[in-house]
Amino acid sequence: MKQSIWMKSFYYIVAFLFASISLYPIILMIVSSFKPTIEIFTNPLSLPKSFHFQTYEKLLDQVPFMTYFYNSVFVSVVSVLLILITTSLAAFYIARYTYWWNNILFFVFLMGMMIPIKLGIVPLFILMKGLGLTNSLWSLILMYTAQGIPLSILILTGFFRTMPMELEEAARMDGASDLRILWNVVLPLMRPALGTVMIINFIQSWNDFFFPLIFITNEMKKTIPVGMLSLFGEYSADWGALFAGLTLSSLPMLILFFIASKQFMEGLTAGAVK
Amino acid sequence: MQTMIQTETVKQKKRKKQKRWGIHLFPIPALFIYGLFIVYPLVAAITYSFYDWKGIQKQAFVGLENYKNLFTLEPFSGMFWNAFGHNVLYFVVQMVVQNGLAFFLAFIIFQKIRGAELLKMAYFLPRLLSVIVVGFLWKLILNPNFGALNVILSKLGLESWKKAWLGDPDTALMTIILVNCWFGLGFAILIFLAGFQSIPKELIEAARLDGAKGLTMLRRIMMPLMMPSIMIMTVLTFIQSFEAFELVYAMQGSQGEPYRSTDTLAVYFYRLAFGGATGDSTAIGLGSALAVVLFLFICVFTALFLNYMKKKEVEM
Amino acid sequence: MNKMGKAWLFGVFAFILMFATACSSEKETSKKSNASKEDEKADAVTLTIGSWRTEDTAKYEKVIEAFNKKHPDIKVEFKPSKNTEYNTILNTALQSGEGPDIIHLRPYAPGIALADAGYLEPLDGLTGLDAFPETALQASKGSDGKQYGVPLNMSTTQIFYNKKIFKEHNLKEPKTWDEFIKLNETLKSKNIIPIALGAKEGWLLSAAHGIIGPAHYGGNEFVEKITKGETNFESTEFVNSIKAMDQLKKYFPDNYEGLGMEDIRTLFATGQAAMFPMGSWEIEVVRSLNPDIEIGFFPMPSAIGKEPTITAWVDGSFALNAKSKHKEEAKLFLEFLATKEFAELFTNEFKMISAMPGVKAKDELVTSLGEAVEKMSTPYMMVVYFAGGNPTSKTTLENELQGMYLGKQTPEGVAKSVQENAETWFKPFQ
Repeated sequence: MKQSIWMKSFYYIVAFLFASISLYPIILMIVSSFKPTIEIFTNPLSLPKSFHFQTYEKLLDQVPFMTYFYNSVFVSVVSVLLILITTSLAAFYIARYTYWWNNILFFVFLMGMMIPIKLGIVPLFILMKGLGLTNSLWSLILMYTAQGIPLSILILTGFFRTMPMELEEAARMDGASDLRILWNVVLPLMRPALGTVMIINFIQSWNDFFFPLIFITNEMKKTIPVGMLSLFGEYSADWGALFAGLTLSSLPMLILFFIASKQFMEGLTAGAVK
Repeated sequence: MQTMIQTETVKQKKRKKQKRWGIHLFPIPALFIYGLFIVYPLVAAITYSFYDWKGIQKQAFVGLENYKNLFTLEPFSGMFWNAFGHNVLYFVVQMVVQNGLAFFLAFIIFQKIRGAELLKMAYFLPRLLSVIVVGFLWKLILNPNFGALNVILSKLGLESWKKAWLGDPDTALMTIILVNCWFGLGFAILIFLAGFQSIPKELIEAARLDGAKGLTMLRRIMMPLMMPSIMIMTVLTFIQSFEAFELVYAMQGSQGEPYRSTDTLAVYFYRLAFGGATGDSTAIGLGSALAVVLFLFICVFTALFLNYMKKKEVEM
Repeated sequence: MNKMGKAWLFGVFAFILMFATACSSEKETSKKSNASKEDEKADAVTLTIGSWRTEDTAKYEKVIEAFNKKHPDIKVEFKPSKNTEYNTILNTALQSGEGPDIIHLRPYAPGIALADAGYLEPLDGLTGLDAFPETALQASKGSDGKQYGVPLNMSTTQIFYNKKIFKEHNLKEPKTWDEFIKLNETLKSKNIIPIALGAKEGWLLSAAHGIIGPAHYGGNEFVEKITKGETNFESTEFVNSIKAMDQLKKYFPDNYEGLGMEDIRTLFATGQAAMFPMGSWEIEVVRSLNPDIEIGFFPMPSAIGKEPTITAWVDGSFALNAKSKHKEEAKLFLEFLATKEFAELFTNEFKMISAMPGVKAKDELVTSLGEAVEKMSTPYMMVVYFAGGNPTSKTTLENELQGMYLGKQTPEGVAKSVQENAETWFKPFQ
């Protein structure tokens, strides 16, 4: 494509301008976390005079961060797996079979995207209590799975519909069962869409704070966002501690992203629009 | 002979049918979890809206009284329309600023400029933070006396631009929405980029041979093919802006401060259902009615929109 | 290629999971061994306390320690939630028949509402309750006349000042409203922010009005009349109190519309502002920010020739969850909270004024506040009598005051809105 040099440099300027707007607050957060509060107030923009790790030591001393971290990992990974299993089965059914109720089923699932679920918090709490799941990570796993189902079904169904039937037909001729067809023939072709579902839901369940707030009172069962939230209240005037707390809460996700950014990006773009 | 063939096929069909019974188990796990943890609590809670509540205690059945009060009784109806207006603004600004910008940036990246991968990463980074973290972080940045934004403005010699961004009702809501755009930009870019990348290369080539370029190319050739991704982003933005809660709550609390200028329907619902921060009285009946209205509104509009888009697609 | 990439991603997840499991299982086991030790101490009962005071966790540990000296067989856990989410969490739990055994109760209307809904156990006849004055018990007395809470502390709001700034500029505590205004002018002319107050969070405004208002509406007399319905919020006295709030805004910091609690606290603690209209619970927080600060306070001088006032009310009680499985044990703990021993511990550890009269504090400032309360207190009217309705009259005042400071409402308009709101629920107005 031939473009004037002006056009090209205009593109670059705009692209880099907005990239820096996206990045700067996060960099500021990380940099500020290494400054004592007084320095943040007097010199908010400069690099720290010396790296000040005491705030981190103080925070890590006070909260069981590794426990929060483990809880977050466990909850997010298990709910993502459950979402992948349940929704690929359901979406396969909705997309590949033409029973008259399939559209209704699809619509019922989609409505979940619009439900203000906070409304149901009291019945939910009673339900979790009945299942003996309050103060258990499984209450969160089940909630995030349920919450992730609508959007995941939307994405997967869309993707299933774009895929040619021939391979499946052939496998069916050979007498393969539906489950085998799904597992051996269809899912391998679905990787991009599964990646999308995986990443969207992973970010979602990793960052939620509302459900643990209500379901979890045991300190050792808290996830990162809700565990760190109490710190934000306690250190409301200590900006150094606040920035360090914010950085600490975000760090695991940022690191994972830097390790696997290509997969994140590809995953998100590949399955999103079909 | 013929009958034999016939029975053969009937048998085959029967066997096929029998075998296909298992398929009905496929949606059951999803349906079960979804039904138990989303549909059931919702339905249970909808019944709340038909009762009178005293504090957190259920009283008499009052039918549609709460719905009536929501729209006719002051100050509730005033607060409803005030918050509704803010949600509309939320949607419009997000569509124009976040999605408009994202579309343009995706278009730039699609031009195969250098550093595209790094750019994409940069745009997407904010989306990885928890909304709570985003809220707290920006609250610090926007702090009128010590926050980085005002400091930067005065370093640039723009003293007069300095503001109490979140304290002034004229700027508070807009500021929050722009923070939301900052948060959501990267995701929108990826969706649009996916749209651009799914346009068949041959089509673009052919159009170029016909002499289309730049904006003409974008409008004539790419736009129609971009419709699916635009549609997805519109629906997602619509739902998200009418349920806007967490960011507003993290930055301004549940009173929609200052002076109700940042109130949204979901924040208003939260305030009615759970009371304010210091234990203000709750109005669970009214709150539930509000949530039901909000849900129906989003459902109906989304359905109408999707229907309209489908028709358009058929026409094209 | 793509396949490889995905497998790799899974690998990363798996690695993190393993890593995390390894780290936490260590902790888990060490915790378990602790727990099993606890179990050995004969079937110990565990009580939980719910509260919004996350910042007091360490102090409550000391309280529990003192309690355990008497009752070593009862384990007590203090489990606070962030103040802004406390009510959401507590309400959800109570509605589901759960919740902590001992509940830190918000004072007056919100707490009483929980009692009236039947979620709390009446405590009449609890040993030690009679040591509290009637005014303190009133904060958690149900509409049925039963007592539902053991009052914990008195909070006071007053104007704190930075003693060093006052000394440097040769300033004195004002004895009249005019002197107060003059004091502000002097400070302003010396480029010191006179009053650290912000309008971003509404409750700051109603708290400030609780301090400044009585100077204009005249304290207890007015409160008595309005609670009987003999006067109302549109009376000249009350409107004047709002006008005074408006008049003072020129002494607030720049950009005060956008300042919240943290900001104004910082301004005062760092010596940029000379006065701080705030509650007694902030003393320790300010000192923790700046250990060298010398804080003084003065009662609000009257503008209409009455006695100066300090605003005081009961700020929290402890109640017993009606669904608690260990009511007897919980009552033992509540009885402990009603002893003089606890009151002294509380006053000295928490640096707050105990709801029990006659307890001497080691902290000079707290002691003199306590003395002032006994001599010249006026109630925080919006909390004590007008925290009802939906939205509450208190919230309405906060919101309308914000409107006033933003130039969208007049003082008369503020008074009118509050009156209209109160008329929807306050019996004497109906």
